[in-house]
Amino acid sequence: MNRALIASLAFIVVLAATAAPASAEEGGGSFLLKNVTLHPVSGPKLDNASVLVVDGRIAEVGMKVAAPKTKLRVIDGKGLHVWPGMINSGTTVGLSEIGSIRETNDTGELGIFDPQLRPIVALNPESEYIPVVRANGITMAALLPAMPGGRRSDGANTQLIGGQISIAHLAGWTWEEMEVRRAGGMHLSYPAISAVSFDPATFSTRRGSAYPKAKQQHDLQVQELSGFFDDARAYWTAKKAGVAVKADLKFEAMIPVLDGKVPLVAFASHEREIKEAIEFAERQNVKLVLANVIKPRSALELIAKKKIPVILGRTQVGTDEEDDPYDEPYTLPARLNEAGVKFCFGTFDEQFARNLPYQASQGVPFGLPYDAALRSVTLSAAEIWGIDKDYGSIEAGKVADLVVTDGDLLEVKTDVKMLFIRGSEADLETKHTRLYKKYMARP
Amino acid sequence: MNKRLFAFTALFLAAAGLLTAASPPHLAIRGARVFTVSGAVLEHGTVLLKDGLIEAVGEGIAIPAGVTVIDGTGLNVYPGLIDALSAWGIPETVPAAPAAPAAAATPGQGQQQPPPQPRVRGPEDRPNAFTWVKAADLVKPSEKQIETARSAGFTTAVTFPKQGILAGHGAVINLGGETGGEMVLDPAAGLYTSVTTRGFGTFPGSLMGVMAYLRQLWIDAAYYKLAREAYARDPVTNPRPAYDRALEGLLDTHRLLLPATSRVQIERMLRFGAEFKTPFVLYGGQSAYETVSELKRAGVPVILNVKWPLKEKDSDPEEIPSMKTLQLRDKAPTTPVALAAAGVPFAVCSEGLDAPKDVIKALKKSIDLGLKPADAIRALTLSAAEIYGLSGRLGSIEKGKLANLTITKGDLFDDKTTVSMIFVDGKKYVPAPEAPTPPRQGGAKSPEVGQ
Repeated sequence: MNRALIASLAFIVVLAATAAPASAEEGGGSFLLKNVTLHPVSGPKLDNASVLVVDGRIAEVGMKVAAPKTKLRVIDGKGLHVWPGMINSGTTVGLSEIGSIRETNDTGELGIFDPQLRPIVALNPESEYIPVVRANGITMAALLPAMPGGRRSDGANTQLIGGQISIAHLAGWTWEEMEVRRAGGMHLSYPAISAVSFDPATFSTRRGSAYPKAKQQHDLQVQELSGFFDDARAYWTAKKAGVAVKADLKFEAMIPVLDGKVPLVAFASHEREIKEAIEFAERQNVKLVLANVIKPRSALELIAKKKIPVILGRTQVGTDEEDDPYDEPYTLPARLNEAGVKFCFGTFDEQFARNLPYQASQGVPFGLPYDAALRSVTLSAAEIWGIDKDYGSIEAGKVADLVVTDGDLLEVKTDVKMLFIRGSEADLETKHTRLYKKYMARP
Repeated sequence: MNKRLFAFTALFLAAAGLLTAASPPHLAIRGARVFTVSGAVLEHGTVLLKDGLIEAVGEGIAIPAGVTVIDGTGLNVYPGLIDALSAWGIPETVPAAPAAPAAAATPGQGQQQPPPQPRVRGPEDRPNAFTWVKAADLVKPSEKQIETARSAGFTTAVTFPKQGILAGHGAVINLGGETGGEMVLDPAAGLYTSVTTRGFGTFPGSLMGVMAYLRQLWIDAAYYKLAREAYARDPVTNPRPAYDRALEGLLDTHRLLLPATSRVQIERMLRFGAEFKTPFVLYGGQSAYETVSELKRAGVPVILNVKWPLKEKDSDPEEIPSMKTLQLRDKAPTTPVALAAAGVPFAVCSEGLDAPKDVIKALKKSIDLGLKPADAIRALTLSAAEIYGLSGRLGSIEKGKLANLTITKGDLFDDKTTVSMIFVDGKKYVPAPEAPTPPRQGGAKSPEVGQ
């Protein structure tokens, strides 16, 4: 009787394990995927190729991969394409569910400097967005602690350092399972001079007139920001020298940034802020990544010269100002590529995080080579986040984050047929497919 | 003898009272350069003023004995300048007109700040329609702007209340006189319309709402008129229409002033204005250089705002203005040139300018761009009078017109020119000394030299 109970309990445990939507534990599945068109990104396309995955890592890639003698799952992928999983380099997916419902939002902490915040701990594995994003071939996301752009009525930023940027896999039972890097970057909303005032009467923005005040606010915030970095550095120096300092979580969190181990991810959209952010990072001697670059103008040369990587935002948008060429947002990736700038894409939101591949492909008809577009959401992203040793391409030794599709990864019409995170097959069911099935079955 | 003296004195006083305390003197300006506007420029002209009117004008006319003579050598004489749209003379602290319908108006004239208004539901509550407000009832001769404007050469202004969508009726006023009533030349110059909304939470909160609201008001007014007439004919069978002060004010409208600055706005207002079967004038009009043919075809005059758009003082030095903005900055001062060339009647207004004299400076800019000085003078005088239907009394130096004159030393549009004297209703004023700082302008009283 006791034995029977144990047996049934064990059965339940096994059931639960097999029902796991996407167990992404290290040491995930092993399988052989054969007869596929392989897009390794790190090298040229391979037709009729195979990938051997052992314990969650890619063991072998090539035309003649022999199946080991052991009993192994073999997937015949005839007619299918295999790609590295895509990386969304800036999103709040899993942190914010319904914008208007306070309880479902875990972003945008109050305070000017919040470097101690780690968004990974706020990641909700039950988010309805995660399966939707995953089902589009995105296996990993850089989680933003806050959305940039909050402004006080006087034009100053509501927040400068919003927190750390965590890198997470988009499958797992808990955030611990999903974690890739707790601190992949440090978020900074670089202060911009916002000489744009909002007129509630006409519900429109007005440029001009507010400049002197906005400039003053900006200068104050830059000063405040430098002061914060200086204080953090003083803390670190004292600590290194063995001086007893009162532990300060904010300053502690800044140490890897000051040490150059974690990049400062500065949101700076326009020429002036970009130049200032670059100058600031140089002065502080920290590693810089620029985010949400929209209109760099002459700063583009500087970005290229200093080899600063860029996280681009949405490309399927209208122009910034009325006289801009209609295709300015579409050609931006091509212009960066031509200048030799390394770039990736973030969606900077949660609802549209699934649209990442289309952000990348938008540039292709406007001068961006296709390979560069594909690289931007895979290997380039991994390089920018410093995780290219394990991610971003299909190479022996790397983690098996793979997407199996029936066509081009960046094409809207393509369906994702299978998706592997750390070698484990992830569930592709989403709220969309559930609703589709439900209503298709309606009598 | 004593009795006779008394009678004589009484008679004298009575006569003096009849003609008002300071009766305009009988005088002549001789040997000046006279810009009659209606006719040729007289190089050595003489203008005779009597009883507040122009008695005669010409070269070599005889000056009757006993007339005060002003030597006009080296002086230019212009018809008194007219600003065609301002709020001069209306105290800024006009009691806020209650927005509620007449029935809800508080007793005691409603001069106090009205209590919080009930929420406006729609056109039936007549929000922002202050058609019963009349500039003629509000003007005060003590307003500082009057003296400032007069010192800049303006003898006449068309002044409007400006709060609300239908802000009220404007008045043509002379910039001189002892009482507000004395200043008024025409109390029904036109109904001032604006399409700016006060934002959310109130009706109308959008441009399309304003347009629909204006249409509804006109429809309601037409119906109201019929109902009123029917009731007057037969109060037994016809229902008695509820008195509606907003519609009463609307029915008294003889001229509409509609705002239009950009090309789109001008074209829209030309169509919109035609719906009301009431003569209308467009004000603003800075982009009218693009629409002269439409304006010409419609026969609609323009009151041109001559505050030419410039780069904003406190703008972001790195901001690149839009092509549209640059184009307007470049082309707006050519609008008078285009209007004059096409024969579209236009006058000018000081709205938005710091000082009345800036109107003349702004026109100088247009002259530099090709506007004929004669056309500029006409816009400041006779055209304005014609637009407001007062060319029988104002706008040129002709026999029988009001003795409103602006006399300068030098050409009107020359930077170095100074206004020597101004005549309003035949009464002579000299310009107030220039105030040290613009915000405190018109602080000093000008010494009156009336005899």
